[in-house]
Amino acid sequence: MTITLIRHQWRAFWRSKNSGKGITVRVIMAILIFYLFANLVLLSFFLDKVLESLFPGLEIIAVFSSCLLYYFLSDILLRFQLQELPTLSVKPYLILDIRRKQIINYLSFISLASGFNLAPFILTLPFLLKIVLPQEGFPVFLGLIVAISGLTIFNHFFSLWLKRKVNLNAWWMLGFMAMVGLLGFLDFYLHIISFSTISSLIFNSIIQQPTFALFPVMAAVLMYLINFSFLKSNLYLDELHSASALAKSSTEIPFLNRFGKPGELVAIELKLILRNKRPKSAMMMCFFFLFYGLVFYNNPGMGVGYGAPIFCGMFMTGIFIINYGQFMFSWQSSHFDGLMVNRINIEDFFKSKFLLFTIFSTVSLILTIPYVYFGWDIILIHFIMYLWNIGVNALLVLYFANRNYRRIDLSKSASFNWEGVGASQWILSIPLLVTPFVIFYPLFWLGYPETGLAIIAIAGIAFIITRQFWITKLVEIFNKKRYAIAEGFRND
Amino acid sequence: MRYLTKNVTPSQKDLETINMIEIKNLQKIYSGVVVVDIAQLSIRKGETIGLVGNNGAGKTTLFRMMLDLIRCDSGEVCSGEVNVASNDSWKNYTAAYLDEGFLIDYLTPEEYFYFIGSLHEINKAEIDEKLLNFADFFNAEILNKSKYIRDLSKGNQCKVGVASCLIQNPEILMLDEPFANIDPSTQIRLKNIIREINREKHITTIVSSHDLNHVTDVCGRILLMEKGKIIKDMETNPNTLEELEEYFSVLQKS
Repeated sequence: MTITLIRHQWRAFWRSKNSGKGITVRVIMAILIFYLFANLVLLSFFLDKVLESLFPGLEIIAVFSSCLLYYFLSDILLRFQLQELPTLSVKPYLILDIRRKQIINYLSFISLASGFNLAPFILTLPFLLKIVLPQEGFPVFLGLIVAISGLTIFNHFFSLWLKRKVNLNAWWMLGFMAMVGLLGFLDFYLHIISFSTISSLIFNSIIQQPTFALFPVMAAVLMYLINFSFLKSNLYLDELHSASALAKSSTEIPFLNRFGKPGELVAIELKLILRNKRPKSAMMMCFFFLFYGLVFYNNPGMGVGYGAPIFCGMFMTGIFIINYGQFMFSWQSSHFDGLMVNRINIEDFFKSKFLLFTIFSTVSLILTIPYVYFGWDIILIHFIMYLWNIGVNALLVLYFANRNYRRIDLSKSASFNWEGVGASQWILSIPLLVTPFVIFYPLFWLGYPETGLAIIAIAGIAFIITRQFWITKLVEIFNKKRYAIAEGFRND
Repeated sequence: MRYLTKNVTPSQKDLETINMIEIKNLQKIYSGVVVVDIAQLSIRKGETIGLVGNNGAGKTTLFRMMLDLIRCDSGEVCSGEVNVASNDSWKNYTAAYLDEGFLIDYLTPEEYFYFIGSLHEINKAEIDEKLLNFADFFNAEILNKSKYIRDLSKGNQCKVGVASCLIQNPEILMLDEPFANIDPSTQIRLKNIIREINREKHITTIVSSHDLNHVTDVCGRILLMEKGKIIKDMETNPNTLEELEEYFSVLQKS
C-alpha cells in the first residue's frame, strides 16, 4: 500500500504542470545542488583541520563531540524555519479503504526524504571515517553513526510535530522561541548551563560505551510515536487545513488613492503580498537583505572601494524588485483571467507595477540611511543604485515578466520552492546583476570612478524620465504575449 | 450603431437591428482537433441566449474567445462592431463570470466589489446601495462575514462572481454554468434576476448550462453546440425542452 502511495506522489511530482520541466531549469538545479553538496563534502573532509585551527591544542574528537549538540540544536531551528510539512493531499485517500495507520505511516515515511536528513551524514561521515574509525575502532564509529541517525530522526519528527502544533495554535511558536532565547541567553551570556559540556558528556559516554547510542534512537522512536498519535487524532480535513479562516482587519492605504487606477491596483497587490504565504515570505526576505551591508561594510578588507557599496546598494534598495519582480504576473496567476476581462487598462496595469517597485525601493532606501555611519559616500552610492533600480532594473524585470508563463500557488512557503521558476528567472538574473558593473569597472580601471557612478545615475534618471515610452513598448509586447501568459496561468 | 449610454431605451425595432456580438468564421484548433468552428453568429441587443451542449462541445472555449482570453486561429469576434482582439473598449460594457479564476480570492467579497466598482468609477456608497438589492440572492452568506473569497464555498463564490458582474451595469453579461454549484433557492433567484435585467435593462445575456429546464426557462434563444459547431439555433417555444431532451437522449443511445 505504502508503495502505491509513494508511486502516486512520484507521479504527482513529475506530472505537475510546474515541476520545472524545462531542461535548462533541471540542469541548473542539478548543478546548484551538486555544488552545495560538494561544498558540504569538502568541508566535512577537512573538518579535522577546521576544528584544529578553531580550537588549537585540544583533542579533535573531544572538540567534535562538544560541538555536535550545537549542530543539532541549530538544525532544529533551521528545520523549523525551512522544512515543509509533507504536502501530499491525503484528501482523496481518506474515504478509501485504506487504514488510517497506513496513511500516517506513509506521511511520516515520505517526509524523511529531505535534504535536512542527509546533511548530518554528509557533514560527519567523512570525518568519522578519517579520524574516529582509525583512532577509536569500529564499535565507536558505529555507535556515533547510530546516535547521529537517532538525533536526526528525532529532530525531524520533533520539528514536524511542532509545526503542526503551531499551525493549530500560534502560541506554541511563541513558547518555542522564548525557550530557545532563554537557553541561548543562559548558555552564552550567563554561562549557567553549557551545551558544550552536555554535548561532551553525551558523546563521550557513547565513545566509551557505544551501546549508549541506543538512547538517542529511543528518543527518536518516542518522538515518532508522539507525532503518530498526534496525526492519528488530527487527521481531519478541517484540522489539517489550519490557518484561521477569518479575515484580518482590512488594510486600506489612503495614500494610494492619489495615483488613480494604478494606485487602486497597487492596493490590491499589497493585499496579495500581505495575505498570502509565499509573497509574504518573499517580502520578509527583502527585509533581511537590509542587513546585507553589515556583512560587507564591517569587513575592512571589503569595505573600501566602490564595488561593495554598488553591490550592496543595488541589493538593499532593489531586492524587492529582484525577489518579487522575477515572478511578476505569476503572483496573479490564479485570477489573471479576471484581470484581463475586467475594465483594466493594460497601461495602468504596468504603471501600477512601477509604482509598487518605487514604493518598496523608496522604503528600503530610507531604511538603509543608518549606513551613513560608514560614510556619506556610501549613502550617495545607495541613492545612485536606487535610481538605477527604479529606472533600469524595474523595466528589465517587467520586460521578462512578459515572458513568464508559469503558475504559482500563493499558499506555499517560499523557501526551496521551485514552483514558477523557469528559464526566464535565470536569464533575467544575468543582466540584472552584471550591467552596473559592466558600466562602472572599465571607467574605474581607467581612473574615473566618479564618472562611472555618474553614468549609472544618469542612466537611471534617463529611464525614469522616458518611462512612458517604455511602458508603451511593454504594453505592445504584452498584447502579443497575453494569450500565452493567460494560457500558462490557467489551471486546466 | 451602439447604445453605450445606459439610460437610453431603444425601441423594439431598434432591438431587432442592433447586433451586440457578431461572430464570423471563428475557429479554434488544439493540436489538430477543431474545438470551436462557427461560420456566422449574430447576437442582437437584449437577447437572452442559452448555450447548451455536452462536455467538450466548446462552450467555455467560445466564451473565452468572446472575451479575448484565447487567440482565435481564424475569424473574429466583434462586439459592437469592433474586433475584441484589437480594442479593449468592449470591457466598458461587458461583464463575465466563467470560473473562480475570475475572482481575486485573497480579498473579502466587499473589497472585491469595491475594487470592481472602482474600475467603473462607481464609489463605495453606490456599491453598498447596489448590494442591498442582492440581499435575497446572498442569503446573508456573503457580506460582513470577515471571510476571504478563497474561504467561501464554490456556490458562494459563484454568488460573488455573479453579483460582481451585475454591479457593473453591463450591456453584455456572460455566465458559464452559473447554476452548477448554487442551491435550489439561489437558482430560482438567479433565474428571476436574469429575466428581470433582460426585461428592464435589455441586457444581452449569454448563459451556458447543463440544466435544460433552467435554460429553456429563462432564455429566448437556445444555441446547441456539438463538437465546436452550433448545430441548432432556435427560438424558445413550448416544445423546445422536449426537442432538446430528445437530442441528448439520442446521443446517449448512439
